[in-house]
Amino acid sequence: MTNREKSHTKNPSKSDSKSRRKRRLIHELMRLFTGFCVLLSCCLLLGIVSFIVIRGLGALSVDFLTGVMAEVGASGGILYQLLGTLLLLLTAAVVVIPLALGCALVQSVFLTREAHRRNITLVLYLLNGVPSIVFGIVGMIVFVQWFGWGKSWLAGGILLGLMILPTVCVTLIERIQAVPKKYIEAARGLGLSRAQTIRSVILPQSIGGLFTGLLLGLARAAGETAPIMFTATIFSGATLPSGVKESPVLSLPYHIFILAQDSYDPATKAKLWGSALVLIFLVFLLSLLALPARLRIHEEANHL
Amino acid sequence: MKTRYSPRSYIELWSWLFAALTLFVLLAGAVLLLKDSVLVWKHEGTEILTGKEWFYRSETFGAAAMIYGTLIVAVLALLIAAPLGIGAAICTVEYLPARWRMVIKTMIEMLAGIPSVVYGLLGILILRNWIYQLFEDFEILSGDTLLTAGILLGVMILPTVMTLADDALSGVARAQRIAARGLGLNATDTIFSVSLPQALPGLIAALLLALGRAMGETIAVFLVIGRQDNQWPGELFSLRPLVESGQTLSSKLGGAEINIAYGQPLHWSAMVGLSFLLLLLVVGLTLLGLWIREHSKHTSYDK
Amino acid sequence: MKRTTVFLNIFLNVFLSSLLVLLLHSCGDAPSQQGQVLKINGSTTVNLAVAEAAEVMRQQTGKTIHVDTQGGSSGGISMLGEGLVHLGMSSKPLTQKDREAFPQCDFHQIHIGDDAVALIVSKDIWQAGVRSITKREMQAIYEGRIKNWQKLGGPDQRIAFFNKEPGRGTWEVFAKWLYGSIDAVPQVSFPEVGGNEETRNKVASTRGALSQLSSSWADSKTVFPLSIENDAGEIIRASAENIASYRYPMSRPLYLLSDGEPQGDVKEFVSFMFSDKGQNLVRKHGYLALADLSK
Repeated sequence: MTNREKSHTKNPSKSDSKSRRKRRLIHELMRLFTGFCVLLSCCLLLGIVSFIVIRGLGALSVDFLTGVMAEVGASGGILYQLLGTLLLLLTAAVVVIPLALGCALVQSVFLTREAHRRNITLVLYLLNGVPSIVFGIVGMIVFVQWFGWGKSWLAGGILLGLMILPTVCVTLIERIQAVPKKYIEAARGLGLSRAQTIRSVILPQSIGGLFTGLLLGLARAAGETAPIMFTATIFSGATLPSGVKESPVLSLPYHIFILAQDSYDPATKAKLWGSALVLIFLVFLLSLLALPARLRIHEEANHL
Repeated sequence: MKTRYSPRSYIELWSWLFAALTLFVLLAGAVLLLKDSVLVWKHEGTEILTGKEWFYRSETFGAAAMIYGTLIVAVLALLIAAPLGIGAAICTVEYLPARWRMVIKTMIEMLAGIPSVVYGLLGILILRNWIYQLFEDFEILSGDTLLTAGILLGVMILPTVMTLADDALSGVARAQRIAARGLGLNATDTIFSVSLPQALPGLIAALLLALGRAMGETIAVFLVIGRQDNQWPGELFSLRPLVESGQTLSSKLGGAEINIAYGQPLHWSAMVGLSFLLLLLVVGLTLLGLWIREHSKHTSYDK
Repeated sequence: MKRTTVFLNIFLNVFLSSLLVLLLHSCGDAPSQQGQVLKINGSTTVNLAVAEAAEVMRQQTGKTIHVDTQGGSSGGISMLGEGLVHLGMSSKPLTQKDREAFPQCDFHQIHIGDDAVALIVSKDIWQAGVRSITKREMQAIYEGRIKNWQKLGGPDQRIAFFNKEPGRGTWEVFAKWLYGSIDAVPQVSFPEVGGNEETRNKVASTRGALSQLSSSWADSKTVFPLSIENDAGEIIRASAENIASYRYPMSRPLYLLSDGEPQGDVKEFVSFMFSDKGQNLVRKHGYLALADLSK
């Protein structure tokens, strides 16, 4: 609305009225088209989510979350699928934190040549593009074949951790670069070494970026099937692992993947949608947790 | 003052160590893929790229039909996601107030969070039936088609396109936009004369990066594409193959064949070779996208 | 500010030491681990009964039993062959080739029930009156020589044939019936389906569809099993009697596979499958229990 009013205030002479009308027409058409795009995209999201909620809500109960799968998915709950997914996420977080910190600090603090910095960013972008199934295949070669781990939660966690490294790292780098220059200069001026500057100024100012990135990355990792289906997760029977070798876990995405292809009993389908709902809820929860921090970044960016 | 003499602090040491570890792991991964697929490169040579037949029982490994499937599905996805995503980004950046922009951006990023297995579930239970009914007149054999996979992927990469396009558009200098408005141009004129031309390289890069993402998707595609090998089209520019089943590199890798291949050197190396090809395709696209974006940054600084 | 530093230092140290411990751990206690866990992998068809039996066993004995369906029957055979699991599940008899591929493994087939591979069609074909198929017709369809249901007395509708993924027991039983041996099967490319539910769902929602499916899944409501017409012109239904008497040509035993005589946990599990409870689970999922066979 405000835009249209503004565009009217500066009106050219009347001889241009024809072209003005044409321009207004284009303007309105553009607004209509792009508005339609936004509407459609949002409807898609709402449609998909509400569809799953409607189908899955019936299956949801406390027993569903705390019960063990029974009758090959037709009754019981998804306790160990949920715990397995959470364990994979936790492992991924533990794996990715030091790697992301290391890469981010090297990229934004220790490397001084712009060309080198750009190379690190390039590697991160490339890693971000690597298809998840390729992680699965490499994982199979390394962990299953070489290390002889069989299927192991640790393999899955490491693969997921590497997969979300770019997300975590890039978010962290952005935050580090957003630390005001004068803080760093002041710290250096006080005679602090580079290491001390990092500890006392840069990290405290940017550690939030690490957690934001982590939450976003984990939201993506939670739903991945391809990297873990050959390396970490099985269909039934696993509980919490007590070792590394031959210690698979159950997981929600794999559970859905298998039951989508094999479910004899119609009762399984309701449970299947219930599992999908829980998985989506988990993913949304993770990205919503990251939201406040991200909004703050954007606000700051707008104010600068 | 003492610290000045020991610039290599613990924190620096750890950082370099972990950064090096990351690089090493990535390189090792790529080298492993290459090493494990040596057999098939020797066996097939360039035939693996040009060969239209994949019959593992007679040790014929030609991936052309799968590469074709991969490209077609990804391009279809882009045809859907590009207008929608860029349109939505234009609306949020240029027309809507900033507060709305954040709300919509957040919502669409949520769309990105929906796991691919859930998309697959929606595809197998709903979308393939829709497609089947919609294209009944074309006598399509089933709802498992390249088009089904393309549409599903289009929805899946929509958030990627939208987010990256949003970044590209909002990266256009505010001063220029204000100047354009000051000259009496309305919001739409500003888009066409200032924002879009300036953001064009960024938009192209966004599309390429999204294309890369689409090519790598496995699970959702796997469930709706039909997994039919050797679907090399009779005519390259006919639309008919779109409503037939097909196979992509990733759907092949996600399927049962990998378990059959396990333990049989040549077949296994052929499967690993496929993942290496997939990796090359995606990395190539990503590099191209990044190059365009990087290149454009320099030119826009010059202006 | 200092807290962050301390946190980071502690974190890094804990992380690295736990990594080391884990690595050592993984080399150290593996054997004792393997003794406690019973691992089963293989056919998705057999999986239904076995996974539920495992649920009951877990409750009764408190043992950990892992069940997975990676790679179907051939996945079960190869993983048992390589010593990765303790029991394989297979919905097809072992071939000489399977045994030769894993000379180090002394395969024992443990017959736990019976099933058959049905050729299923979608509702429109069934209602149009197509009720049986001959081996010759099926070969022609498989080789792409017949593409329309008209040739089989059905409506003018293209045949949408979904082929089971290679490596699935269902496919191997089908291939063996059709061509005598797997090596004789011509190389063809059709849309492929994997799991049983996926097959049923896709056939049910596609007109003119045909596929192979475990007969217990052919519910005659959404998908319909065709009878097989043999060379003598007899029409043989995939009924329980015909499967039990092996008159129906694609009857197949369902197996658990073990390496050598079953012992310990493996033996316990196998005897559970033979017990009334275990056999009832076989029946519950639509297969024929051993007792049904002797009739």
